[in-house]
Amino acid sequence: MSESPLPFDASTPDAPQRMAEAARAIEACAREKPSLLPALLAAQHVLGWLPRPAVERVAAWVRVPVSEVYATATAYSELRLERPDPLAWHVCTGVACDLAGADALLDAAPARARRTDCQFLCALAPVVVDPRERLYGRVTADEFRERLSATAAEAHA
Amino acid sequence: MSAAVTPALARLRARYGRPPETRVLVHRGTCGDAVDAARVLEAVRAALGTRGVPLVETACDGACWAAPSATVVRPGHRHRFARLDRAPVDALVSCLDGACDDAYAGSGARGLLARVGFLDGSLADALAQGAYRALAHAVTLKPAEVADAVASAGLTGRGGAHFATAQKWRLAAANAGPRVLVVNAEEGEPGVFKDRHVLEGDPHRLIEGVLVAAHAIGAARAVIYVNGQARNARRALDAAVAQAREAGLLDGSALGGTGAEVEVRSGAGGYVCGEESVILNSIEGERPVPRLKPPYATDRGLFERPTVINNAETLCAVTTVFDDPPPPTKLVPLSGAVPRPGLYEVPVDGATSWAGVLAMAGANPQRVRALLLGGPSGRFVLPEEFDAPLEMRGLGAGGVVVLPQEADIPRITSALAAYNARESCGECTPCREGTPRLVALLEDVPGNRARIDALIEVMTEASLCQLGGLAGKPVASALALFPRDFEAAR
Repeated sequence: MSESPLPFDASTPDAPQRMAEAARAIEACAREKPSLLPALLAAQHVLGWLPRPAVERVAAWVRVPVSEVYATATAYSELRLERPDPLAWHVCTGVACDLAGADALLDAAPARARRTDCQFLCALAPVVVDPRERLYGRVTADEFRERLSATAAEAHA
Repeated sequence: MSAAVTPALARLRARYGRPPETRVLVHRGTCGDAVDAARVLEAVRAALGTRGVPLVETACDGACWAAPSATVVRPGHRHRFARLDRAPVDALVSCLDGACDDAYAGSGARGLLARVGFLDGSLADALAQGAYRALAHAVTLKPAEVADAVASAGLTGRGGAHFATAQKWRLAAANAGPRVLVVNAEEGEPGVFKDRHVLEGDPHRLIEGVLVAAHAIGAARAVIYVNGQARNARRALDAAVAQAREAGLLDGSALGGTGAEVEVRSGAGGYVCGEESVILNSIEGERPVPRLKPPYATDRGLFERPTVINNAETLCAVTTVFDDPPPPTKLVPLSGAVPRPGLYEVPVDGATSWAGVLAMAGANPQRVRALLLGGPSGRFVLPEEFDAPLEMRGLGAGGVVVLPQEADIPRITSALAAYNARESCGECTPCREGTPRLVALLEDVPGNRARIDALIEVMTEASLCQLGGLAGKPVASALALFPRDFEAAR
């Protein structure tokens, strides 16, 4: 099952190790400009988002100015330049999910549920995405509340 | 009837052998896993016990509504068991024993979807179920003859523009090489989930189409650009490319022809990334914005080389052009207020209408207010049109959301306009400035009607690409078809 890593946190003890792993992933890409997006994706795959040192590493590796790397990175909606909230869930608000009651899911957890655009699982609407990017389909408000408390407990454990 | 099996294909099949046909398939993939198909897998495993029947984890077969589901396959018999989250799995066992009528509820015609949801992930199984038959035949033909076959099948681009595929190929082939084939599997249009089903469920279908096209174009390199969120599709495609390489399908040693090197790239979101020149910029490491045309990609595309950019579904359809007759089908991802939402393969044969499609999905047309066809670049279809035969050109990328009688059309229209505003890349003024202004003007349609019409005209005529060019289309359609819904300011 697809799942993204816990978002990188510079203050945790494993930070240097994770950044080194990201550097290896970046430098596994061919050292040329066409590797810009693959290298950014490789870094995000390891770190869960793109902290500035990772962006700088990509820039140095593919020999593109940092400013230009940011210009490109900000154009892709799936590249995360800020650390994602490890407790935030997303509720799909595409047309099919909207019809199937996405609003009720958003209302069920106003503090932790955010809106997101179409997740391409329209036939299983309404759809929510957990903090690790796992998708859940045909979700009811009760089920959504249960899942939210389960992840909160998981995060505290 | 499809092309005969060539001696080279027969040798390849013999080399790989034939997996047993009798099997139990548990449909996982993105759809199944979103509704806990893993638990169904364990229940089925327990029910099968020590019977020794192969239990195969496979992708969604297009019947997303049925997920989590499993299908029993034995010679001459296929039976899908739907919604196993709320039905016992015991019936599968009696079906295996033969105590069962054939009850496979299909998703329309099965041409491109023939193997989707029925494969065990091995090349052997794909070959046994017919993969690479079109390629084996194509490499016995001259490149121009392949383009002729595509032309006589009437194949047009399935990404939505419906440009004649053979004509695009010929334009590129007329230019000096090296030539490149780029596959648009970005599929970022909200409501569209067709290519990811095919890639998850039958990635060899696309690879075969790529190799047929590469032969026709004379391209030694192909780049498949896959939607970044479609991670299961990417994983399945990577595995299949590795299998094809190992089998000698990419270098031409297995079936003949010169072959093509196939590279897979992932996108990272953005509706505009489905625009073909944006994909070229993305692959080159440039900002993902559209290019000014001309030059057209067939003259100067990826790295300035003559480039054919085909939608993934188009290339999948290329594998059927040697069938007699080729099935004129369109993949239609259908969601919304219907009992059986999912991916349908719809015959566009002059006989099938929306009424027929809705019947397949179990919908009662009386309860349908309209269809939204093509999402944020699309239009609304009223019930008056439901009985008219479908035309390929009118289908766009094929995405349909069925809107119930109580659907709030102004709300949906505003949401589509807001989506386009968020997704505008900002490269050209009509789209960058026009899309947010359209959102604002929709707050008071009666007061702003003339300005809305004028703005849509400017965006349609002057935008650099079709994100801006079509952003006004659903708005114009809604205002024309549902004028009373917009009478009051919101």
